[in-house]
Amino acid sequence: MAKESFDKEIQFLRMLALTTGAYSRQQFAERLGISVHTFDKTLRKLKEIASSVHDSAAGTPGEDPDRELGGMLRYNHYETSDPMLMFLFRAKSLKETEIDRLSLLLGELNGRSMTAAELLDSCCSGLPADAAMPDEKTIRSDLKYLEEVGVIRKVNSGRPARYQLHDDLIRELSAEELQELYDYVDCMANTQLPSVQGYLLRDSLKSVLKQHQTGRDATEPFLYKYHYHSRILDEAHLYPLFGAIAERRTVSFIYFSPKSRRSYASRNTNPLFERKAKGLSERILPLRVVYDHQYGRWYLLGHNTRQGIMIFRMEGLTDLVLGEPVEEERFSKHLAELEAATANSWLVDTGRQVLVKARFYNPEVPPNQPNFVKERVQQQGQWGVITEEGEDSFLYEITVNGPYEIKPWLRSFGSSCEVLEPAQLRREFIAEWKEIQRGYEPV
Amino acid sequence: MSLFEKIFNYGILSRLQENGIVPVTTHERSWLKTMLQHPTAADAFTPDTLKKLRLLLSGSDAPQLSGMLQEKAGSMEKQVYHPFIRQLRSLIRSGQGIRISYRIKDGSLHEEQRGYPYKLEYSMVKREWYLLWYRFRPRSFMATKLDNIISVSGIPLEAEQAETYAATVRKLLDSRRRQAVIEVVPEFNNELSRILYAFSCFDKSVAYEESSDTYQIRISYLADESEYVLLKIRFLGKRVRVVQNTHLQTRMRETAAKALARYGITGPDADADTEQSV
Repeated sequence: MAKESFDKEIQFLRMLALTTGAYSRQQFAERLGISVHTFDKTLRKLKEIASSVHDSAAGTPGEDPDRELGGMLRYNHYETSDPMLMFLFRAKSLKETEIDRLSLLLGELNGRSMTAAELLDSCCSGLPADAAMPDEKTIRSDLKYLEEVGVIRKVNSGRPARYQLHDDLIRELSAEELQELYDYVDCMANTQLPSVQGYLLRDSLKSVLKQHQTGRDATEPFLYKYHYHSRILDEAHLYPLFGAIAERRTVSFIYFSPKSRRSYASRNTNPLFERKAKGLSERILPLRVVYDHQYGRWYLLGHNTRQGIMIFRMEGLTDLVLGEPVEEERFSKHLAELEAATANSWLVDTGRQVLVKARFYNPEVPPNQPNFVKERVQQQGQWGVITEEGEDSFLYEITVNGPYEIKPWLRSFGSSCEVLEPAQLRREFIAEWKEIQRGYEPV
Repeated sequence: MSLFEKIFNYGILSRLQENGIVPVTTHERSWLKTMLQHPTAADAFTPDTLKKLRLLLSGSDAPQLSGMLQEKAGSMEKQVYHPFIRQLRSLIRSGQGIRISYRIKDGSLHEEQRGYPYKLEYSMVKREWYLLWYRFRPRSFMATKLDNIISVSGIPLEAEQAETYAATVRKLLDSRRRQAVIEVVPEFNNELSRILYAFSCFDKSVAYEESSDTYQIRISYLADESEYVLLKIRFLGKRVRVVQNTHLQTRMRETAAKALARYGITGPDADADTEQSV
């Protein structure tokens, strides 16, 4: 059987999460490059998973079917901190018989060790009489799989091998310790990268805690503000890429650039997720993954013999396949090139270095109140330095690759920031503020 | 191992949960082991529990991702897990009240105030923790940095009282909800993806008008978040325009005038206020 790919589901959910409610079924399907029929099928599947994972996700009957799931993906920060797109990672297809068998095996191995033969016996008596009975080969391959993912382990060294559930982490902890662990996992999954493994563990711990909780105990005490929810979708590619980087292997994929080309923009099409026949086949040596906190987006940085250093947005990656390993020497050489080229990237720009100088104006606050402008410059200004401090303002300097990636950040300070150098950037700021001003002129 | 494993399948998940079985995979253990290496782990567990956890994970690998994964343009991490969290989250879970001493922005001390703790909130922008609570006298909804708390202890509350306070806070939060409609200037539709990403940290919905090829993003936020909404709008510059919300429109007009004044270009709105703290 061909390896199941989740590219379609990932693109589907990303589009749904980002454009919540914007499109009709027809428009949505067109933009994804799929048929309306496939749209309906995918939506049905995702809804089934979502409603089985979250009880509240059933949706209101009678609503537009495509807007229903969209509505569910709208989040209310003050109601829940459950990561709403996590159910994607529950989407691996499985036959009902396999679900029955694997659940039964894990149930048998809960708290005691058994051999494959013993498991076969209890499996046959545990399954409904009309179910197809598994043979020993199937049981052995199930055990092999469960051992590989680390859910069970061998408890003896002799033969026949005896297996048991590998759940010490849960079993050995007191209820209070489990609660402490849950809180820590919740905090780390929400504040650190990567997070999906943490969210999966969080789900498991939550189900254990539920067993001895009542009423208020179950209250979630934590909220996380200003999260980019769709960031976890791209983590789907993260582990294969980390694997490839660790083993110095090349990867190939079909890339759909999220930026549209002018010729298409003028044709009145939606540039977002334009699919079909526009994907480019790429093969690179992956070197590093970068997460951009400003937008909650991921980048893949790699090297290709023809074009040198290449940068891709993770959301455009589909059909990712791992290739052959290269020599360590080649990998190190390109990694060093990449490090040199991106040492001064605000994000990932490898353009020419430029010195940016800006004057920041202190806010008019009482003397004992914090200077929030300076605090933010210090917290977010990366390697830039404050070179001069006056009573009303201070000077900030930074050398970056090209002025374009830092521009939005400088602009976000509004009138608290005046760009001094380069002159071209200063002119652009003046022109842009004029344009913004025109946008708000009374009509 | 991929993140799409059979063992994570939703059918298996619900079956195992019914039977109280909790599968933990190698990768989840590795993830946890890596996270326990963070110095903040010492704030989250008693030394004994931490030792026990590390022992339980001694057979797992903790992959070093530092060379492969780089985070850019975020706020410097001030804190991850604050020492006060353990105590506060038990108070919140048990529905108790609090007696709290804390400092406010200007440094002055407020001692022994009583109130109801609602939630602990972490801001991904400020990278620090706040306690959201309802102060009894004078009545007020508060957001206090955990770093500014001097001391806190629990006071008993009847379950009914706690529920009343929780309802009061929810009502208050609701009454502070604001809406704004932000339009993507059609000329910049080719940047739609990043514009939508930038607003994806808010509760939002999008409307698309096919005839004019125009996207409008309706966001919902709390009144005290206006400054952060404005920051995002300024961040995107001329690509977006507030089309509904007078307060934001006025502020943007003032900001543009004042910013131009910095460059020596003056106009009627040049005397307006500077940006506020978010």
